[in-house]
Amino acid sequence: MELAKNLQTTINRSYGKTDLYVDLAQSISGVLLIGFLWMHMLFVATIVVSPDLFNRLSIGLDEYYLAQVGIPATILLIIIHIFLALRRAPVRLRDMRITYRMAKMMNHFDTWIWVGQVVSALFVGVMASIHLWIILGAWPLRAATSAMRVASTGPADHTWGGFAFPFFIVFYVIFLIAGEYHGGFGLYRILVKWGWWDRHTMGWVLKGITVVIVGLGIAALYTFTQIAANLPAGGVIQ
Amino acid sequence: MGRQLTISCFRYNPNIPGDKPRMQDYKLEEHEGMTLFVALNEIREKQDPTLMFDFVCRAAICGSCAMLINGRPRLACKTMTSMLPSRFTVMPLPVFKLIGDLAVDTGTWFRDLQIRAEAWVHTNKKFDFNALEVRMENKTCEEIYDPEQCIECGCCVAACITANIRPDFIGATGINRVYRFLIDPRDERSNAEYYEVIGNEDGTFGCVGLMACDDLCPKDIPLQQNLAYVRRKMAAAGLKLDFKGVKTS
Repeated sequence: MELAKNLQTTINRSYGKTDLYVDLAQSISGVLLIGFLWMHMLFVATIVVSPDLFNRLSIGLDEYYLAQVGIPATILLIIIHIFLALRRAPVRLRDMRITYRMAKMMNHFDTWIWVGQVVSALFVGVMASIHLWIILGAWPLRAATSAMRVASTGPADHTWGGFAFPFFIVFYVIFLIAGEYHGGFGLYRILVKWGWWDRHTMGWVLKGITVVIVGLGIAALYTFTQIAANLPAGGVIQ
Repeated sequence: MGRQLTISCFRYNPNIPGDKPRMQDYKLEEHEGMTLFVALNEIREKQDPTLMFDFVCRAAICGSCAMLINGRPRLACKTMTSMLPSRFTVMPLPVFKLIGDLAVDTGTWFRDLQIRAEAWVHTNKKFDFNALEVRMENKTCEEIYDPEQCIECGCCVAACITANIRPDFIGATGINRVYRFLIDPRDERSNAEYYEVIGNEDGTFGCVGLMACDDLCPKDIPLQQNLAYVRRKMAAAGLKLDFKGVKTS
């Protein structure tokens, strides 16, 4: 394991700040993304208060160009974060096998949580892409259109014949839990690596916040289904 | 009459041509106050003199008898059999070179770590044999004593996924070692010099924060706090540094 003083390591040493910048950037992009996620969930949860508040917030975000700037910025952040975090994941089959075997053998909580983070990252990556595609295709966001989407029973409702499956509810519940899990424990890990606080206390605080956010998300999804059920047949799309 | 213990033990001697890795069961009777260290010695004395494992001090000071006990890195001498189920497994630590059965070579790994981490007090002061030693504040002394308790057993390295999949990673023990000198006022190294040693992906920035080290350290060293301190210190130092790059194209 002695560091060989070959050409590559010598050159890398002269770029001695790369590892620091990359590590910092991973943590900072993570913090920004979890900040985005929690804010996003609070905004979505305004539907529980009233569809009118939800609509006004959405209009406001468009009017002040927060959505137009925020969405591309978030997409960029996600790409950066995936790229930086990938270097930490076990990517070779050999590494995956060692990771799984050690996690199973030690049965150590935080190690298992991290394995779950790697897996949930895959879900979040794919599902966020689908989510963004659908959202942007139906812009602007309004309570009625969101409700219709959440309550729709298939990717292409009536082409599947009599088959009705609450596709988007299932999709969003998985997305919500995967996103919150990945983000919540991601923030925990960032604070463990950089912070001063005892990680056991911190863990409980973050688990509490995560439960609240997941609760808000579920409440919002439920409200959307209720709104959709009360819309006139075919839905009035503003 | 104590419990009947069944110890499922990893057996493999790389020095015997054709020897195959396998698990072998040993049965023995548990007695009052039995540690795994005592149990293994009983097996070696009464049942199987070929069983290889390391020990020196039997008091959690030498760090020789670290092994995977029911999958977790622990010291055999600090593990009471009464804490374990009547059937359990013992395996050698991963990461380190296997000598045979439960014995691994932590020495080579740690020797290399000492060199890489430059784990000695760097000072330009000339040593005066006749002068009284410079006194140290009690508080500083206690702070240094904390990371200094590391016995180099290798439990934190074996428990670390990063150390398992990236052989160049210095591990919690390495970062903790640098921490020990960082807070020692006698060490005259600048932060830039420490950064040179540990400010990279093989050092402090390679840690993913899985905290198995913190949970499983037999000496209960507060590794979470020590590792985070080094990370913050090195990040602050690194941001101020100016590196001259070599243009390769």
